[in-house]
Amino acid sequence: MQSELNKGASMEKIKIIIDGKEVEATRDQCVLDVAREQGIYIPALCYHPEVTSSGGSCRVCLVEVHQGGRMRLVTSCNYPVREGLEVKTDTELVRRIRKGVLELLLARVPDSEIIQDLARRDGVETPRYFVDEGENYRYKCIACGLCAQVCDEVVGVNAISMLARSREKFPGTPFHKPSQACIGCGACAYVCPTGAISMKDDEDVRTIWGRQFKLIKCSVCEKPYIPEAQADWIVKTTDKDRSFFDICPDHRK
Amino acid sequence: MAVDIKKVDEVISRYEKSDESLLAILQDFQKEFLYVPEEGMRRLSELFDVPESKIYAMGTFYKALSLVPRGRHTIKVCTGTACHLKGANQIIDTVERELDVKRNSTTADGRFTLESVNCVGACAMAPLVVVDEDYHGQVRTSKIMDVLKKYK
Ligand code: SF4
Ligand code: FES
Repeated sequence: MQSELNKGASMEKIKIIIDGKEVEATRDQCVLDVAREQGIYIPALCYHPEVTSSGGSCRVCLVEVHQGGRMRLVTSCNYPVREGLEVKTDTELVRRIRKGVLELLLARVPDSEIIQDLARRDGVETPRYFVDEGENYRYKCIACGLCAQVCDEVVGVNAISMLARSREKFPGTPFHKPSQACIGCGACAYVCPTGAISMKDDEDVRTIWGRQFKLIKCSVCEKPYIPEAQADWIVKTTDKDRSFFDICPDHRK
Repeated sequence: MAVDIKKVDEVISRYEKSDESLLAILQDFQKEFLYVPEEGMRRLSELFDVPESKIYAMGTFYKALSLVPRGRHTIKVCTGTACHLKGANQIIDTVERELDVKRNSTTADGRFTLESVNCVGACAMAPLVVVDEDYHGQVRTSKIMDVLKKYK
């Protein structure tokens, strides 16, 4: 989404109004980023500013935008700001619609703490809908796709992708087997908004997506800190020397 | 089950190396092997420099592609409202029993894949059974096995 928005983006400064306050923004920035700069909280799950195609999937970042006498409900993470735009982040309508969104999400992933918290904030304790369980049980994953986007666009290894579609949509490795492309970096687990991806470090072995990775130990503090496969990947794709990884970031000079 | 890799390469060689060819190649695999084999997807990834994750995602996305071997013939029993009322479930029960196969799976000899579908839009012909491209209307439960006889 952002890539489209940012194409040919100028750094043109504009003025918009958020929750009654006039603020400066850059044309085509998304509403969510502007709100965050201003310290205004909008719940958001599937958007990450560093991940170009992220956002637009979870729908919890809904806000009202007013322009030219018209009002619309939009997802703030992919709505570009323009001069004179007025945004309202916490109206009766926003709360009511978001409540519906969260009720549906809660029915899908009743075990997700963050969804529980967000839903409770908007007044939902238990969803009125059938809860996904049995073969439809999906732990905490809301199928937003952020993990696969990070793996592709930021890490660049494409170890995982979103598989199947609609209700069955789920991230996974090719053929549901341990991926040879995976470098064990854990970016997917780190970025997942609901903590749905399991990654375990046990001494100097990391387990993720059904594969085990040997971790390099820092030669100063002896703490295992990066998978060998990740170090190899960085050496291959940048001008870093392998010896760079002998020492962890805490002890590098 | 081993897949002839020469056959895989032959299918791939019909197409230009581009992202636009990917789906067409997977469809050709489906036609050729009656499913989309893992070996085929891996080979395609290698030859086209497309990550396996992208090709597998595509393979899992389309209903027309199957990742497990399908039968030589597909039996689709319509279970739309009209066919349901006219006894579609008895037809399914009979086929399941006679061919020793479960709904949405394939007989051990690879002859048939049995599926149910939601309304094919030919309610006047209810109950309807579609075998491959042939529409069989007003199928009586007692006659369904006769209908299937000619599909070898
Ligand atoms: S695992 Fe997390 S990041 Fe990936 S699709 Fe599910 S919720 Fe989104
Ligand atoms: S954060 Fe905007 S739709 Fe998910």
